[in-house]
Amino acid sequence: MGLSGGRHELPVVSGAKDGSASFLTTKLDWLVNWARHNSLWPMPFGTACCAIEFMATAASNNDIARFGMERMSASPRQADVLICAGRVTYKMAPVLRRIWDQMPQPKWAISMGACASSGGVFDVYSMVQGIDTIIPVDVYVPGCPPRPEGLIYGILMLHEKIRGESITKPELRKELPVATEPALPDEVVEAITVPFGNSTSQNRIGGLVPSGALVRPRDRRP
Amino acid sequence: MSENFKDAVEGLAAGPAASDAGAGPGRAAQADASSHPTVAALREAFGDAILHHEVQAGDEHVVFIPADRNVEILRWLKEQPGQEYDFLKDVTAIDFGGGRPLQVVYQLWSIRHRQGLRVKAELPLNALEIDTVVPLWATANWLEREVYDLFGIRFRGHPDLRRILMPENYAEGHPLRKDFPLRGRFSRLEQTRRALQLDIESDYTPEELAVGGAPSLPGGPEAAGAAGRRDANRP
Repeated sequence: MGLSGGRHELPVVSGAKDGSASFLTTKLDWLVNWARHNSLWPMPFGTACCAIEFMATAASNNDIARFGMERMSASPRQADVLICAGRVTYKMAPVLRRIWDQMPQPKWAISMGACASSGGVFDVYSMVQGIDTIIPVDVYVPGCPPRPEGLIYGILMLHEKIRGESITKPELRKELPVATEPALPDEVVEAITVPFGNSTSQNRIGGLVPSGALVRPRDRRP
Repeated sequence: MSENFKDAVEGLAAGPAASDAGAGPGRAAQADASSHPTVAALREAFGDAILHHEVQAGDEHVVFIPADRNVEILRWLKEQPGQEYDFLKDVTAIDFGGGRPLQVVYQLWSIRHRQGLRVKAELPLNALEIDTVVPLWATANWLEREVYDLFGIRFRGHPDLRRILMPENYAEGHPLRKDFPLRGRFSRLEQTRRALQLDIESDYTPEELAVGGAPSLPGGPEAAGAAGRRDANRP
């Protein structure tokens, strides 16, 4: 550490020559991250049964006030973490994106449950196959729906992630550039939305074809 | 692998069995007209226009009528003293697949006489048009929009026939038709792109948009502009 001043660069602030963060930066990071992760105001985006479990998480038995999260932010302008609890339809996707874009930095997102994370069992024409195609997600909580303990575990994982952040990394706070573009590159969206697991053996000819492929050939129009 | 399990797995590829095995597309045997007072009166008033009458699920009386006389017969059912089916519970449609006609279903209830009646009209696939019943029951407005949205049946004379459930820019067709693929016609990427390009404010009034956000002044220039935009989207 050197505070020699003058025209010399100050490794205290800018980091040591080997690229690691300096003493002052890490202490400042610790303080900022401590403040941030101990009062995450949630933006509850509850669309389905996961929202019921989320309410249970907020209620007195599980009580997310323990983590400074009891203040639900009905407006995205005062929110820190978006908790998407439930399935999201394509019609809802631009709404979710707008809410995410309206949240000020720093902000994080938790994808709660199978439907929000991957579309779940709803591998159908109307359902977003994972909200990470719409907004960037920090923590995925599996379950259908996850128990409150599961969501709390996800919140603690988010705490862990926040504790590892640094103010010297502006890329952590990068905004999505265009509101009408998916949050991921095209090929990634294609890759993560293909049918998987049980849905591949369901009664639909595989692949996406413009012809209106059908299970039962006799249902085809004559 | 046990034989039962093998059968079940192999059956997966075949898809669900037809639910309408038997007397043709969704039809049971002709029922006795005297079992429902309204059906007897309908036969008297309209004669051959009552194409078929059957009983489903024990006591659910279903009457088939010609599609081009639906308003006439439904108006009679609503206004004829002694019938007064003043409550339209539901308007929906059924697609049996295989090129068979679509059925438009009117589920009626008479509050005064405490009895119900289901009225069906069949539409061939090359002429999916039927007259609207919005002048009779105002609730048919949204119900017919839903049928139009999901089945593609056009209701002649409907005051505001546009999509109600699917997004306004939806271009993949009508999802509840049997020939609609389960995952839609576009790729997931294209579906995601189109969804994000949707103008989410185009379909809402300024009052609806103000919920949870900045309040807009009623009657202000901003509100007038938004209202004008909404009207401009109507066909």
